[in-house]
Amino acid sequence: MSRRPRLIAVDGANGRALLAAAERMAVVKGVEKSVSRWDASGLFEQLVMAGDDISTTSSRLLLLLYAADLAFRLRWEIEPALAEGHTVVAAPYVDTAMAFGRACGLPAKWLNNLFRFARKPSERHVIGTAPASRPRETAGFIEFGCVHLEWIDGRELAARTRKQLGTGRASHLGRRLRAR
Amino acid sequence: MTAPKSPRSPAARARARFTDPSRRRGLLIAFEGPDGSGKTTQRKLFKTWLQAEGHDVVTTKWNSSELIKPLVKSRKALRVLSPTEFSLLHAADFRHRVESIILPALWTGRTVIADRFLFTGLARDVARGLDLDWVINLYAPLLWPDLVFYFSVSPATSGLRVTTTRTPNFYEAGQDVTDVDDPVESYHRFIARVIREYESLALIFNFVTIDAERSIREQHEELRRLFREGQQRPWSDWNVDAVAEWLARRNGGAR
Repeated sequence: MSRRPRLIAVDGANGRALLAAAERMAVVKGVEKSVSRWDASGLFEQLVMAGDDISTTSSRLLLLLYAADLAFRLRWEIEPALAEGHTVVAAPYVDTAMAFGRACGLPAKWLNNLFRFARKPSERHVIGTAPASRPRETAGFIEFGCVHLEWIDGRELAARTRKQLGTGRASHLGRRLRAR
Repeated sequence: MTAPKSPRSPAARARARFTDPSRRRGLLIAFEGPDGSGKTTQRKLFKTWLQAEGHDVVTTKWNSSELIKPLVKSRKALRVLSPTEFSLLHAADFRHRVESIILPALWTGRTVIADRFLFTGLARDVARGLDLDWVINLYAPLLWPDLVFYFSVSPATSGLRVTTTRTPNFYEAGQDVTDVDDPVESYHRFIARVIREYESLALIFNFVTIDAERSIREQHEELRRLFREGQQRPWSDWNVDAVAEWLARRNGGAR
């Protein structure tokens, strides 16, 4: 393998736009392996399939589940690909969850500690596309949170998450991908 | 998190509710200890006695959230959980029970008995090689019990009591981290690590240690005595963040 393995993190508040951008990113970067996506573990899907009432859950609970899903993705998708010398695009990665947590008013200290197990990405990109006006719970983590956390206005939460993500951190490539 | 100072803030409401001398405040009692320590037997006897004393009692067990338990159960069956995932999912289960069972019960003045509390997660996760600081932060904002009864037994006693009646399951035996094929042998090794962590936690967090090698009757009588002493303790202000966060969400705020 001639190139060094790299972990490219792509984050954003719009799940569909995020994945589309990640697919394009994979082409641009010549990524051999597929993109590592949210809910590869099936935790959130199982929650929805069970049909239980999750409207009263908290953002902390959803973030603990997000972290469990990310630990799964790291173990089964990201780390093995990196160990084989491949470059991996993780969409979303840590920044999406951190922004969601901050938008919900959670302390940065708790969030930083929660994701301490996650390896630092080689590159970070933020996709600035506006959140979907009618989010579907399966589109992405932010959409899942906006649909199910009924005690908080979903649109406002999505907008706040995007703001948290966009505080001067959108990369050149992220902006370019958003513009396409 | 710094508690807001407004008199109408959730923090102020939490303090007012739990320090109001005109009402019986909700008490949180945790039963902790390794498998085979007899704590479930004691918990049942204690609950019956508390009810006879006029307490409205709610019981909550480890890994019993209706929402999260199925997620954990299916993954345990497949033996696919890493220590990190195991830890995060149990913290999620605990968080859900705190929000949906424990805090609502305490708020209305009920007494909550927790058959295992967050210390179970700490002892097991650290025994699996995770960092204590990382694990404890998963449970923030921390909700401290009024009393933690720790049922202390030796690894040999725990091993004997558990393995003479059944074969420990894969995660109970710690086979995910011991790499020992025989579940009984693995259990003996793993429970020694768990007990070592419990003993450290008992010192750090000031558990009330019960010698669980004694008779059931002796232990129960001691629990009654210790409870009578312990229930006089004032509400711990350490809990204000946990209650305030729950109140804020209940009333349509963030978090």
